[in-house]
Amino acid sequence: MGAFEYRQAEEIRDCFARYGVQYLFIGKSGAILLGFPDTTQDADLFVKKSSANGTALVSALKELGFTFTESEAADVKRGKDFVQLKNGPFDLDLVFAPDGIERFEDAWRRRVEVEGFPVCHPDDIIASKAAANRTKDRESLPRLRSFRDYWLKHHK
Amino acid sequence: MKTEAVPTASQTEEIPPEWLAEFEAAAKRPLKQRFKYAFIKTYKPVLDDARFRSFDTMEEYRRWCEEDLPDWLGYGRV
Repeated sequence: MGAFEYRQAEEIRDCFARYGVQYLFIGKSGAILLGFPDTTQDADLFVKKSSANGTALVSALKELGFTFTESEAADVKRGKDFVQLKNGPFDLDLVFAPDGIERFEDAWRRRVEVEGFPVCHPDDIIASKAAANRTKDRESLPRLRSFRDYWLKHHK
Repeated sequence: MKTEAVPTASQTEEIPPEWLAEFEAAAKRPLKQRFKYAFIKTYKPVLDDARFRSFDTMEEYRRWCEEDLPDWLGYGRV
């Protein structure tokens, strides 16, 4: 499987819109959508945890080519806090309860839209990475904070 | 809140000049091109060896990362 491509991000955007899935790009993939120049391997989606959204999400993912056992589909529908998918045309991490962000609705209100892609505000991306406190995040956070300052100055 | 993608930049203080130059250069590239340069794929041991994983809580996921993944991947907490 190759790297995540723009075309695949478009497929997520368009398919999720058709099914009415509420989600946000988060993590470094979200930052990259905002213009952050860096590299990553994963696309991370912050998905609203609700029964209806979970059901819509599974239908949308199946249409995109992901395959699930009944038990796996139930885990996604239920909105387990973290789901790692490598059972489709590209890798995807689904996060239903990211560290550092209390409620999806709050992040949704602060969202940024880039070419139709719903993306977490840079402050939320930073908050989740800071709260996760992983080695790899600690290395990227100073540069990401500088990018946030740069981004804010150009989005007043 | 709806905003456009990053516009071209002008002045920014406090940001290290090297990073500022990178941010400004990235702002001039179309999103499709930024994607091409940003997403890479290399094999990550253990992490890439299952087609599906799910965790009830983030704490459970973080603990699994610390206990099961090689340290050098950087997924462990500081």
